[in-house]
Amino acid sequence: MPLPVQRDIKEIEGILNEILNTRCPPVGRCRLLSSGFGTAHSLNIAEDISGHKECLGCGNCVDICPFLSREPSRREKTEQRTSMALESIVGEDCDLCNACILVCPQVDTTIKNYVVNHRMVEVMSRLESRIGDENEPDLDLFLEEAISSG
Amino acid sequence: MNFELSEELKMIQSLARDFVNERLKPLERDILGRAADLSDARAYLPREKEVELVATVREMGLWGVGVPEELGGAGLDALGVCLVEEELAQTVVPFHFGDITPILFDCNAEQREKFLLPALNDKKKPYLALMESDGSTDPSGMKMKAVKRRGNYLLNGIKLSFSRAGDDYFAVVFAVTGRGVTCFLVDKDTPGFSVTGGGERTGWLAPIREPMLLVFDNCRVPAENILGEEGKAFRLGMRWLPQRRVVRGARCVGIARRLLDEATVQAQSLVTFGKPVFQRTSIQAALADIAMNIEAARLMVYEAAWNSDIGKSVRRKAAMVKLYTTQMIQTVADRVAHVFNGPPYIEGLPMERLCRRALEASAIELALEKQRSIIAADILKGLKI
Repeated sequence: MPLPVQRDIKEIEGILNEILNTRCPPVGRCRLLSSGFGTAHSLNIAEDISGHKECLGCGNCVDICPFLSREPSRREKTEQRTSMALESIVGEDCDLCNACILVCPQVDTTIKNYVVNHRMVEVMSRLESRIGDENEPDLDLFLEEAISSG
Repeated sequence: MNFELSEELKMIQSLARDFVNERLKPLERDILGRAADLSDARAYLPREKEVELVATVREMGLWGVGVPEELGGAGLDALGVCLVEEELAQTVVPFHFGDITPILFDCNAEQREKFLLPALNDKKKPYLALMESDGSTDPSGMKMKAVKRRGNYLLNGIKLSFSRAGDDYFAVVFAVTGRGVTCFLVDKDTPGFSVTGGGERTGWLAPIREPMLLVFDNCRVPAENILGEEGKAFRLGMRWLPQRRVVRGARCVGIARRLLDEATVQAQSLVTFGKPVFQRTSIQAALADIAMNIEAARLMVYEAAWNSDIGKSVRRKAAMVKLYTTQMIQTVADRVAHVFNGPPYIEGLPMERLCRRALEASAIELALEKQRSIIAADILKGLKI
């Protein structure tokens, strides 16, 4: 949905890497680096809004966040579903999985391409180190007991 | 490598098999109903019949089949339990050999007298209260809270329980306290604790299981009724719970074996277009597929149980067993439907109930994804198969 003419990734590569290295959901700042509302958003109103960079509040980033699906209680802190809300409820606990960037309709495809082509490998190894913590109890075992008992 | 069962295990297997064939299978009609409209179908055996059967199992020395000996059970190892459960799953009569949830094995001496032993002796039914009514199956998002007040805990909230109802009972409640989730034992007569639902259904509704609602309204529970440690409810039964997954796999194998028996009888007795159906190659192929699936699943179950008995961790093996047996039972039910010329949901046939149970076993798809991630985690850590 962003504008068809998007900024060359070379211009913003430095700041983009800085954003991706910071432990905080990166989607909001990536959106601000993008080209803004595309012409597809232009309703029949007097003012031309193409190029504006507000969050739509679609909530995609809140839904996809793996940290929030592990700790759903944090979602109850606010009813808002904007990237700002995501930053405030996840903050430094961010996994840096970059999933929120990829689902945001307002982030430029050039940025998404850059993330997929240049930053996904390191995400994989980080996520891999998270899986399979043997000391974490397997809650499904309890669920199975509860369903099959009697 | 020796696949032969030991003499002791063979004896246990044949004891269980004879019990199922001679005592339980003749009762199947009582459960499925004799009337044409199945108005006399029921979910459980009559109480007096059950007491009689329990006494027989006690004489055989197999009551409390998976319960450790020091807690008053028969204390069979995992392979023994699998053999017994595999036989028991071959009938639609709901009966078990003192199958108590291992969550209760962590009772202290006082709780053992008050809760575990009555549960094992069939005097009190344990109501497992883990799930809540918001439709979420994730125990980590639990909402029910227990607040500490002057040495007691105040429980408030509503729980769902799929356990079997009884006259005397106690609840095993999971609730959020300050430090994580804690498990409480709440006796029937505790003020503020009430149960709705759970009445026995008859007729065509009999096989439908509906959860009971356990309501806690300012229910005061003393601190000595905490099972295990405060905030560590999900560490309960750690020693026994993983192998329960293998045992449930054995049940699937048992159901599948009975389905094969039923399908074989059907194939041999049905004649279509002037030809017995077993002569048709597609029917023979279906039977062969079923047999092969059962054999593979059974070997997996036995090997996982054996691994558990020699003290190895069965986390991954149990995940594989669950994943494979739930897929296996669906394939088998599907093939059997093929032999029966259509969907097997013909009320009043044993296979209808068996298929129902088979599908119940695989009802939680989400949990299957979890099994896959357990297996994948080991592979990513460098496991070579």
